[in-house]
Amino acid sequence: MSTPPVIVNHPASPEPQPVVRLHLRQRLFSTLEGVFHEEVFFLILSVFIGIFAGLAVVCFRLAIDWTHLALLGPLPQSHSWRLFAVPAVAGLLVGALVLHIFPGVRGSGVNQTKSALYIFNGFIPFRTAVGKFICAAIAIGSGQSLGPEDPSLQIGASIASALGRQVDISKEKLRLMAPVGAAAGLAAAFNAPISAVLFVIEEVIGRWSAGILGSVVLAAVASVVVVRSFLGSEPLFRIPVTAFKRPSELLAYVVLGVVGGFASVAFAQSIGYLRPRLKALPRWTQYFQPAIAGLLVGLIGFLGAPQVMGAGYDFMDQAMHGQYVWRFLALLALLKIVATTLSFVSGTPGGMFAPALFVGAMLGGAVGDIERLIFPHFAGSTGTYALVGMGVLFAGFLRVPMTSVFMVLEVSGNYEIIVPVIVANTASYLVSRSLQAFPIFDLLTRQDGLILPSLEEEREETILRIEDALLPAPKIILNAQDYVDDSARRVQDSSDALFLVRLHPSGWNVISRDQLQRLFREGKGELTLASVLPVKPLPSLYPDLPLDSALRYVNVYPLVPVVNRADFRRLEGVISRDSVFKKYGAMPEPK
Amino acid sequence: MPWKLPNRIPRSGPVILLILTFGAVVGFAAVGHLVTRYTLNQQARGRSLYQQGLAEASAGNYDDAIEAFRAALTCDPSNSQYQLSLARALRDSNDPAYLDEAESYLVALWQRTPQDAAVNLALARVAAHRGSIDDATRYYHNAMYGVWNSDSDENRNRARVELIEYLLKKNARAQADSELIALAASLPRDSTRHLQAAELFIQAQDYSGALGQYEYVLRFDPVNAKALAGAGEAAYRSADYTLAQRFLRNTVSANPQDETSRQLLTTTDLVLHADPFHSHISDAERNRRIAADFAQAESRLKECAQKTNVNLNPTEPAAPLSSPLFSLQQHWSSVKPDLQHLESPAETDLPDAVMDVVFQIEQQTAETCGQPQGLDLALLLISEKREAVPQ
Repeated sequence: MSTPPVIVNHPASPEPQPVVRLHLRQRLFSTLEGVFHEEVFFLILSVFIGIFAGLAVVCFRLAIDWTHLALLGPLPQSHSWRLFAVPAVAGLLVGALVLHIFPGVRGSGVNQTKSALYIFNGFIPFRTAVGKFICAAIAIGSGQSLGPEDPSLQIGASIASALGRQVDISKEKLRLMAPVGAAAGLAAAFNAPISAVLFVIEEVIGRWSAGILGSVVLAAVASVVVVRSFLGSEPLFRIPVTAFKRPSELLAYVVLGVVGGFASVAFAQSIGYLRPRLKALPRWTQYFQPAIAGLLVGLIGFLGAPQVMGAGYDFMDQAMHGQYVWRFLALLALLKIVATTLSFVSGTPGGMFAPALFVGAMLGGAVGDIERLIFPHFAGSTGTYALVGMGVLFAGFLRVPMTSVFMVLEVSGNYEIIVPVIVANTASYLVSRSLQAFPIFDLLTRQDGLILPSLEEEREETILRIEDALLPAPKIILNAQDYVDDSARRVQDSSDALFLVRLHPSGWNVISRDQLQRLFREGKGELTLASVLPVKPLPSLYPDLPLDSALRYVNVYPLVPVVNRADFRRLEGVISRDSVFKKYGAMPEPK
Repeated sequence: MPWKLPNRIPRSGPVILLILTFGAVVGFAAVGHLVTRYTLNQQARGRSLYQQGLAEASAGNYDDAIEAFRAALTCDPSNSQYQLSLARALRDSNDPAYLDEAESYLVALWQRTPQDAAVNLALARVAAHRGSIDDATRYYHNAMYGVWNSDSDENRNRARVELIEYLLKKNARAQADSELIALAASLPRDSTRHLQAAELFIQAQDYSGALGQYEYVLRFDPVNAKALAGAGEAAYRSADYTLAQRFLRNTVSANPQDETSRQLLTTTDLVLHADPFHSHISDAERNRRIAADFAQAESRLKECAQKTNVNLNPTEPAAPLSSPLFSLQQHWSSVKPDLQHLESPAETDLPDAVMDVVFQIEQQTAETCGQPQGLDLALLLISEKREAVPQ
């Protein structure tokens, strides 16, 4: 019998205090061990990623605001020479920086983050974060028609990647650092954690993965908390009074969705057409491309539409509150598509979230106004249509249907318009999908020579399941308690070569006719099947499992039973190597 | 070459957590400092733009004011004073396109501080612009009972006066009356306020209420010319001609240049001298007045018929038999012989019957030929007073 060593070895101090201290220490160590278990540690790291990404995005927003104020003033006026001179000169600077110092910061940043996840093992140089910060702040602040959200996403991803490389974590976790940081960056920029999480899942990760969801959510929430603690919880724009009262008005939102779908296709195709052509021009032209884009965007502003310059949140706000007539709203939508296309294809760092929202808001307002001119009894205000229009462009242009719905709801905080949003977004998504093969980000990665997985592809994939390769259960089912001679007699006239044996109390095994006949010839007819079969039963599968899961068994076992989930003794059928391969279409013709 | 932590620093979990925590604290401090400096800078810029906006708004340049307030808000987006001023400028610009935006700013402010009286007052004005009486009344009430930063009583009374004026403009007489009663009860001893309230009572055609306000002022300021004239007019409008005469005489003697009061006094005197139903007059005087009024009615009828080319002579075939003036002439002629029985004690209903003819003639001629002057006006007023008296 062993006595606790501490008590026995300390007769002079019989108090229980040392025992307590030891227990506490043990408990502390066991807790710390739990904390530094990789899964938990990754969650803790996610919070820190959120904090650092949030801090970076706060600085990024200040930098954009400061640049804008310093270069263009608080409210740019039309017909001021600064409107075209500033973005042109800033474009020259950005062009030089992108070509010589920060080559990885061109464009939006969403694709680069996705590439990091799938190709570069989660590696994004920290220099990218610095470069994106500087170049995007100059570009957006000087009036290029781009938004700060995608750069924030890349900055967050880059910070996370850099952090991941400093700690000892597995390659798999290191790879996931980038999307966690991306979610944090986007959530901070948008002040909308749910939309950010959904976008990262839909667009960056490209597949539903429960393993990373917790980290992504934690990082997104942490970054939003940081941003709100510094910049307040004011939304990006004031949400107007929205209303949806008549179900018949849904038709009006369908029209908005269709118009938005066509606009999305035009927007995406203009970028898809121009981008490779400009990239193919001689390298020296890339010094001037951002400057020329800035000059042209500035000219649009100079000629009377300064609203299209920069991210344009203030003007979305005004459009939502009935500031512009429908003709001007439609014109602004068109000009914003032109301006953003110019800015983006020139390789200027900046995002497409805000421009998509801008185009959507203007288009929504215009369509809403026209519809209300025709049907004055419609309850939806211009603001309601503008808000729904934002989601429409998200769904059609970025092709992220889930994010598009939640973005509108999260930004507006109004669930009354959920039905119009879903209806309009679905219409826009369907139009866009039917007219354009790839979503914009997918198109851009393909232009860059990369093919990355996407949720849209996954949604369209035909998933084969066990039930697709299911063969009917053999007519003769043997029992483990049956004798070999009886069983041999039962199967001798059967056309099947293999027979399932039901084990007691549960489970299955398989035996062939040849095997039974051989045992019978060897004089083992008096033995039960249970005594001659291997002890390890066959694995059982369920009809709804992916067919891939059967591959590991069908090469080992000639027949695998498929049972009912509610009653595992009930046999739904069997699968074999032949039936599985036949389903995959890889099975050679039988000789 | 990507930057790495120096190799001498251990990569164990606790060390990493410690470094991250330290980094986060330093980051918070640095960004906090940056944000504070930036915010202060922006606030200063915002204040300057705000002042510029206020100057433009007070000069009536609402478009420039709106631009300035917008710019101020880009510098300090959560400043409720800027938002309120922008909303006011948007509303006052009288551009219907701006009204939605103004309301949206105000609703956002109201959601944050529903008790803020200034916000409620601004919202009430927006609702009034939109013609929504219920919303306007609700927000005006919120403003009256809300929190004002200064001069609460003054501002509350102003809000109520504004509501009353709005209700009167919208012809919501019943609601205006109840607000007037509340206003009268809450006014301090200040002649300006009571005179303003009296004017509102007159607009609401509550002349006795107006008279009460004027009399209240005269109690502590008996020579207040405005109150005297107002009281005279209020008494006149409420058909208390004896009282009106007293106030109007005092008014005219105090201010001989007051033509309105002089005219009212003349009419009042005529009413008091022509009214046969006036108390404290003898039967003879009453009969004299009835006969005089009857004769005046005839001349008024003839004058009006001539003016409107109606021939009252029944012998001519072209006479428009359907004209009300002709019927009245017939009626007048049928009653005329009865005048000689006025003194008969048996004919108790005759004075009323005769005066009925007079009143019908005055009313009809007023309708056909316009508002009369002099004694005819007095007779018309007597008829109105007589109709207002419950039988």
